Amino acid sequence: MQTDGRRKMVEMKGVTKYFGALKALDNVSLDIYDGEKVVIIGPSGSGKSTLLRSINRLEEVNAGTIIVDGFNIYDQAVNINKVREEVGMVFQQFNVFPHKTVLENLTLAQTVVRKRSKTEALDVANKLLDKVGIREKSGVYPTKLSGGQQQRVAIARALAMQPKLMLFDEPTSALDPEMIGEVLEVMVKLAKEGMTMIVVTHEMGFAREVADRVIFMDYGVILEEGSPEHFFKNPTHERAQQFMRQIL
Amino acid sequence: MAEIGFKKKKKIEGPKKLSIDVGDGAAIPSKEDVGLFTAWRVAFFGSIALIAYLVFIKRGAYIEIIQFVPDGILITFEVTVMSIGLALVIGLFTGLGRISKNPIINGIASLYVEVIRGIPLLVQLFYIYFALGRIIQMPPLPSAVLAMSVCYGAYMGEIFRAGIQAIPKGQTEAARSLGMTPAQSMYHVILPQAVKTILPPVGNEFVALLKDSSLVSILAVADLLRRGREYASQSFAYFETYTMVALVYLMITLFFSKLISIMEEKISAD
Repeated sequence: MQTDGRRKMVEMKGVTKYFGALKALDNVSLDIYDGEKVVIIGPSGSGKSTLLRSINRLEEVNAGTIIVDGFNIYDQAVNINKVREEVGMVFQQFNVFPHKTVLENLTLAQTVVRKRSKTEALDVANKLLDKVGIREKSGVYPTKLSGGQQQRVAIARALAMQPKLMLFDEPTSALDPEMIGEVLEVMVKLAKEGMTMIVVTHEMGFAREVADRVIFMDYGVILEEGSPEHFFKNPTHERAQQFMRQIL
Repeated sequence: MAEIGFKKKKKIEGPKKLSIDVGDGAAIPSKEDVGLFTAWRVAFFGSIALIAYLVFIKRGAYIEIIQFVPDGILITFEVTVMSIGLALVIGLFTGLGRISKNPIINGIASLYVEVIRGIPLLVQLFYIYFALGRIIQMPPLPSAVLAMSVCYGAYMGEIFRAGIQAIPKGQTEAARSLGMTPAQSMYHVILPQAVKTILPPVGNEFVALLKDSSLVSILAVADLLRRGREYASQSFAYFETYTMVALVYLMITLFFSKLISIMEEKISAD
């Protein structure tokens, strides 16, 4: 699966998804390469979250094929849980586990899914807590943390699985403005380390700093693709121009 | 039979929907409920005082009764504890069945709940002991425990279902996105959180079951009520016997209601 010397991490072909009568994704095809950072933008209801969630099959699509890390995720023979181990996901609402401490949030899937030993999992967890800057909160329950801290726990939890690909579904949309920076900072750091990232966000500053490619979606269709600069300077599609005016 | 006063937690905050929450377990007192609390105090300490008065001052038949029934109290507890334990297991699987996407499993669980909830417990007791007795003859105590747990399992199933469904969907999504199987995410993520919401109504069911356990006396299980009847029929002291039996039930029930409300407070505190 080599193309221009780069390996495809995600390969979507003709993906269509309905919510009842509503067409959320309309024959979408998209390739994401290893190490690439892609930012998806678009108005609410444009299908960008659905697209992201279909990549780890949190959303079941009605038609098309999705190949992640070389595995066709709709193939009966493919164990979706194995694929998900390699695909980290960060949610808008954080979804940290409130009944587990910060440290336990990070070790749970490592021990249960990756079958790591307790000491190994703790070692990975502590390193990641250092990385996201909340090592001192490791024994605390997440409900005691701010939104920004919870989201950093959620990112660390996903990273603890050492995934090959990270999906971010509007990771800063539920945050108070003063906490957005601390989360973006972690994401930028991750991008600089070479992680393959697909990020649904309206943070154009983030896009400008790390994105290799920006994708603009509306009505379940990819209307325009280009560099962040392209979208800042002269988006061609009328809907994209309109959208950029609204968010900048 | 207990009606489950359990409301699904709404995610969106707004004006609270008006709802009436009535269980048939003994009213579980809460801290804010000052009136109920004093009512509990009066009833609980009143029943103890009255028992003490009747046994130590009035004596006569009362002292004989109080010596006659303790093994019955033990049986009542035995039936209650075994039934609630088994009902919890049945309830867990019923609740999981009710939320299952598999139509067959879901259908079986739903049918079980509907059928059991539509038949009086007393009829179920007769059915398992006498009617099914033609196929498998079981001694009275296991029959009683089986009937009680099958009945309460249906109610427990609804409690488990509501408790599991009250956990935000994002929790399951987060667990699954980490590669956990449905069973792993249920066991490690959903159920531990659901326990908090499930415990209060389960406590209610426990008290309700404790009271309903008096029905098993009909199957010649020598519980508290049965022992009372045995004493009354040989001494003809009906008034004294049933006064004592009622007071003992009252005392036990109120004791457990209070215990459960203390446990609830402890759980919601952390």
